[in-house]
Amino acid sequence: MFHAITTAHSGVTTMRTWMDAISDNIANANTVRSTDQSAYQARYITVEPGQAGPDGVGGGVRVAGVEFSDPEGRLAYQPDHPLADENGMVRLPDVDMGVEMTSLMMSQRGYQANLAVVERARDAYLAALQLGRG
Amino acid sequence: MNIPPISRPGMGAAQGIARPEMGPTGGRPSAGAGATGAADGAGFGAKIADALQSVEASQQTADGLAQQAATGQLTDVHDYMIAATRAQLATELTVAVRNKALESFNEIMRMQV
Repeated sequence: MFHAITTAHSGVTTMRTWMDAISDNIANANTVRSTDQSAYQARYITVEPGQAGPDGVGGGVRVAGVEFSDPEGRLAYQPDHPLADENGMVRLPDVDMGVEMTSLMMSQRGYQANLAVVERARDAYLAALQLGRG
Repeated sequence: MNIPPISRPGMGAAQGIARPEMGPTGGRPSAGAGATGAADGAGFGAKIADALQSVEASQQTADGLAQQAATGQLTDVHDYMIAATRAQLATELTVAVRNKALESFNEIMRMQV
């Protein structure tokens, strides 16, 4: 019962997971490693549609897994840094702040959109319960 | 989280009424009960009991999540809010069904004989 709510719930949870991944990436955007270590690998979640119900809809979405970006990262010249090698190079993660901020907006809006579905479905079901009253 | 449906094979009383194996005396087959289409009190009662169990399950889910929220173990805020919404909807649906049943009963009791 209340399949629309179940479906939207899966969407909200997925968007929350996406936001978690973005949060990780932004938090580690400036994580410096030495050149003999691998850089912080940005997290990107992959999603897949869920198993649809008997009527062919209502499968929702679920997180299929997490993909990691290149551990090579990018090299930066910071000779003052304590982790710098003999050439003055350090390894920074390959995180594009512009992409992350855009994704953050999308995940936030997606979260809100799915919650709007929950709200509308609730209103619809409640309206059905008003049938024949008054 | 998957809450079992309150009563998948039709909530309507029509199905209960049409079931020939249940007599008006409560479960025992009685001759001609199906033919006369007597009101199946036991069938409706069992359905309501099933529905109440399902409602209780959804309320327990919401209660468990509320407890998690209070103790700081809730991982997803929306989990609780959605579970609470479900519990509310299920409860209101049960109340609506109960009111309708009571209405029908009262209507029959008012019948002039």
